[in-house]
Amino acid sequence: MTTSEIVLVGVLALLGAGLYGLLITRNLIKVVIALQILVKGGLLALVAAGEASGQTNLGQSLAMTVIVADTVVAVVGLALAIQARRLLGTLDLKALSNLRG
Amino acid sequence: MTDWLIVLTIGIPWLGALAVWLTGDARPQLQHRLAVIFAVAAGAAAVALLPSTSSEVALRIEVGSIFGDFTFVPDGLGVFLAVVASVVGSLAVIFSVDYMHGEAQLGRYYTLVLLFIGAMVGLVLSGSMLLLFIFWEITALCSYALISFYNDDPKAVAGGIKALVITQFGGLGMLVGALIAYSYLGDYQISTFLAEADTLPSDVLAVMAFGFLAAAAAKSAQVPFHTWLPGAMEAPTPVSALIHAATMVNAGVYLLARFYPAFEGVSGWTTAVILVGMVSALLAAFMAIYANDLKRALAYSTISQLGYMVYAVGTGAIFASQFHLLSHAVFKALLFLAAGAVIHTVGTRDMRQMGGLGKQLPFVRNVFIIGALALAGLPFVNGFWSKELVLEYGYKHGPLWAYVGMLIGAGLTALYTVRMVWMVFFGRSQKRGHLHDAGPAMRVALGVLAVGTLTSWLLIGGFGEMLEENLPFHHLHVESMATLLEEVVTAPATYLALGVVAVGLLLWAWRDPLAMISAGLWPLGEAATHDFGFEWLNARIVAGTRAAAGALRTTQTGWLNWNVAGIIGGLLIVLVFLALGA
Amino acid sequence: MNDLTAFTWMILLPLLAAPVIYLSGRLTKEQAGVARWVALLALVLTWIPFALAASDLSADGPQTYTLGQVALRLDDLGLLLAALSLGLGTLVVLYSGPYMAAESGQEKYYATLVANIGVVIGLGCATDLFNLWVWFEALAVSTYLLVAFYHEQPTSLEAGIKYLVQSAVGSALVLLGIALVLGQTGTLNLVEIREAAGADSAILLAAGALFTIGFGVKVALVPMHTWLPDAHSQAPSGISAMLSGVVIEAGLIALLRALSALARVEASWGELLMAFGAINMLVGNLMALRQTQVKRLLAYSSLSHIGYMLLGLGIALYSKELAGAQGSLFHMLNHGLMKGLAFLAAGGLLYALHTSMGDHSPLTIGDLAGAAQRYPLAALGLSIAVLGLGGLPPLAGFMSKWQIFVAGFETREGWIEALVVFAALNSVLSLGYYAPLVNAVYRQKPSEAVQKGQPMPALMNVPVVLLAVAVVAVGVWPALLRWLTGPAGEALLAAFGF
Repeated sequence: MTTSEIVLVGVLALLGAGLYGLLITRNLIKVVIALQILVKGGLLALVAAGEASGQTNLGQSLAMTVIVADTVVAVVGLALAIQARRLLGTLDLKALSNLRG
Repeated sequence: MTDWLIVLTIGIPWLGALAVWLTGDARPQLQHRLAVIFAVAAGAAAVALLPSTSSEVALRIEVGSIFGDFTFVPDGLGVFLAVVASVVGSLAVIFSVDYMHGEAQLGRYYTLVLLFIGAMVGLVLSGSMLLLFIFWEITALCSYALISFYNDDPKAVAGGIKALVITQFGGLGMLVGALIAYSYLGDYQISTFLAEADTLPSDVLAVMAFGFLAAAAAKSAQVPFHTWLPGAMEAPTPVSALIHAATMVNAGVYLLARFYPAFEGVSGWTTAVILVGMVSALLAAFMAIYANDLKRALAYSTISQLGYMVYAVGTGAIFASQFHLLSHAVFKALLFLAAGAVIHTVGTRDMRQMGGLGKQLPFVRNVFIIGALALAGLPFVNGFWSKELVLEYGYKHGPLWAYVGMLIGAGLTALYTVRMVWMVFFGRSQKRGHLHDAGPAMRVALGVLAVGTLTSWLLIGGFGEMLEENLPFHHLHVESMATLLEEVVTAPATYLALGVVAVGLLLWAWRDPLAMISAGLWPLGEAATHDFGFEWLNARIVAGTRAAAGALRTTQTGWLNWNVAGIIGGLLIVLVFLALGA
Repeated sequence: MNDLTAFTWMILLPLLAAPVIYLSGRLTKEQAGVARWVALLALVLTWIPFALAASDLSADGPQTYTLGQVALRLDDLGLLLAALSLGLGTLVVLYSGPYMAAESGQEKYYATLVANIGVVIGLGCATDLFNLWVWFEALAVSTYLLVAFYHEQPTSLEAGIKYLVQSAVGSALVLLGIALVLGQTGTLNLVEIREAAGADSAILLAAGALFTIGFGVKVALVPMHTWLPDAHSQAPSGISAMLSGVVIEAGLIALLRALSALARVEASWGELLMAFGAINMLVGNLMALRQTQVKRLLAYSSLSHIGYMLLGLGIALYSKELAGAQGSLFHMLNHGLMKGLAFLAAGGLLYALHTSMGDHSPLTIGDLAGAAQRYPLAALGLSIAVLGLGGLPPLAGFMSKWQIFVAGFETREGWIEALVVFAALNSVLSLGYYAPLVNAVYRQKPSEAVQKGQPMPALMNVPVVLLAVAVVAVGVWPALLRWLTGPAGEALLAAFGF
């Protein structure tokens, strides 16, 4: 396998794992983790794309920005999760599925 | 000068609406007074337009972009209907002073009525299809809000929303028509369209023609869109008289008459118009025969009479249709307002609980009978002349089957009219306390309309000239008054029609000996009281939509996993869509 | 040109004001409401660079400001978004004064709200894909905080979490799309991508799909819409107005900018948008039809209005029809006015009937009964808003829908005309849920909630009245907003290289 093929497999694996996690987990912390995995897939793709188009620096600087933005989202997500645990006493998504119809 | 009169005729009632609204419900006397002043002033402004009718644009407002020019054209047809709207409007407002005395939320009532009067005038004077459509919708909005004026009554709310949705649904036909006209001609002006209609591809013109027919049928409560009108009877009675008998419901007939020159060549269109008019006239007449609610019976009779006008347009009798529109506006407003006076004093709309009211309410009885004579088409009140003109023209220029249908309708009309008069004012008297005959404001309105019913046919000559002179696309040729009247009096069709009317009256007179037969007709009665299945169809559509909405709501599960699945599903669908589309 | 021009100040002012607002609120007593006045001041001041930028733009055309590798450029489309965001934002801050007066954490609320406004303006000025993503992400984060503002309410928390997760999935997909574009074309600049893109590139097609879905989550395209009814109904009412009137529209602008880079790719972008438009209209209307909670009903109605915008935009992309773009952007502004009005009026009633008494239960249609007697302005405002949303003239919504419909018929394609009829039919359907609201507020017999309700603060009526007047004025005279929508429509087509 060439490098780019390995990267491609990696991206797809991360995306797949992230989305799969989001589809099946009922735990809020795991949801945040799955989101992280998903975004990491995008991140890897970005770096690889920079590499492939001969713009290595661009790709890497973008990746840095993504990491920052992504961390902010993760922090907010975890804060909401903590609040959910405090308020509802559970991290189960079942307690967060009352808005229907 | 004319442009100012137009601005005044529309602007005065709208200004009045604002004034009444700002007055607030704490000062009902002032509200009554302001409403009457503004309504009467609007009527005067409309009458002042009469001498200056012309087919030229009198007022042009350039909105630009794709909205084109908003124009007002004070031609004979438009000004005539503007006068009807604002004069009957002012009488309805005068009547309301007594009728709505002591009611809460008067401000909302008068504001909407005055808003309606202005919008109705705007509708008939519009020279641009977009502007016409805008006013068309504003009248629908006022109609809806006034039908459900008594918002605490679920029936009133349902009736209002039903009226709004059905007329809007039909209005789609007009929307499509206006859009087609603009996309082909680059202009919304009605005059442009009438001049260049034959440059449109024939199938496109046909879509427009039938679209306008749908819009007209919905607005004028014609089959199959008529079901909203009986429901609209939950409105305060002056509103029923003004909007749902004398003015707004005529807008459909007006639309057909206005665009007749462009659509008469569309294959099948005139036949469809005739058919819609005839079926409406007959079905509604049957429903009126079996109705026990006084206002509903009048509503069915309105549908039926509008059917005559639509039929007349279909046979090319533009003048006769508009002349019948005038007669009908006057006598039906009279009947509705008189019915309102009865309902106001008796406190019920059920005719079975009335009976023998004639002695206690002599004034109301007398004017109601005048209106009834006109409705039945008896000589020599206004309804007689106009109906005979419609029938005569239909006999000469329309298909025979339709003529026969309309003749039968005339007999049925006589039958339900005499039944109505009998049930309310004669027959067995119910036990009840002292009743007040109509109040002074009611008497003014009723008196004017009664005089109008007796005399409005004298306007036939001037009315004909007015239409002939400034409807360049209609090529109307209207005889002089003497000729017209002579024609009616000497035509064999007239005597045939009168004979049929007499049969209708006799059917009522002999109802006891004929009881066997009428009992045998029970399936007809069943069908008529159930609105020939159209109500059922309405209810099915509503129930189906609600069921679909309910089913769809289950897709909002509230589960986050499911929501994410929606995103993934969406991505897959878009990928496939783009892959297939590329 | 590297001097800070007027439009950069328009972006910077709110962003710089945010921490000031936060600190000013933190350092003073909450009840004094200092944060709120600073926020209002910041937004009022922002109107100055807005006016300058608008006149620069009409005089000299779009200008670019470059900082390092990042370039910002204000065109007429960006100006329209700025006007919408700043206009509604100012009114919402004014409105929030009394609405939020009793809440704790106001300094966070105002700081985030003002930052949010600045971010939306910035998003409209992005010139490259990645920059667009960064603004988009900033918008998302600031919105999460506002949606979950009532973090002691389980339902608000639920709405905030769903919004966060779904948006984050969306932005990850956008990121993937950016990677594909970068790998394929070697650039991120929107115009350069458009020049470099080959006509038949499966990779770029996939990138387009990822953009559509990724940004589409924020725009609430069906079936990615599921977060919207929760978020819009659970947020504080001022925020509901911003979310419905500005934030989803900002997502739509972002989507259009991204797709404009792919304009040369042989793909049915126009048809795609029209298809989403039709689905959004129908689903939004049907979902709203049987709602009993007023704010949730209004939230679903936003779905259907996004549908109208998509229809117009789809027509514009499909046939290069200027009227479609202009009508759609006109509808965007009108929707901001009408839905803003609806949420602020309904929010005023919610406040008076429930929230002001510490009761966080939702406002139901039953609660509205007889509201006009005690709260005449809010009731009238709500009525005008929903009738306008239902497309009745002479209110704003009718005019913009009409413009979209005209564009559809100008194409003279049978299926687009059918789609226009479908859209008009949907307007009729929508009256089935709008009209009962009007009937309810004008009932004679007041509901229990109305009888027990608190008076509505006069200041909350000010934005309601202003918006109601605007909805009527634009309806009577549609040319009022043409200075914005006309050039913006042209700018949109120009961005696609038509």
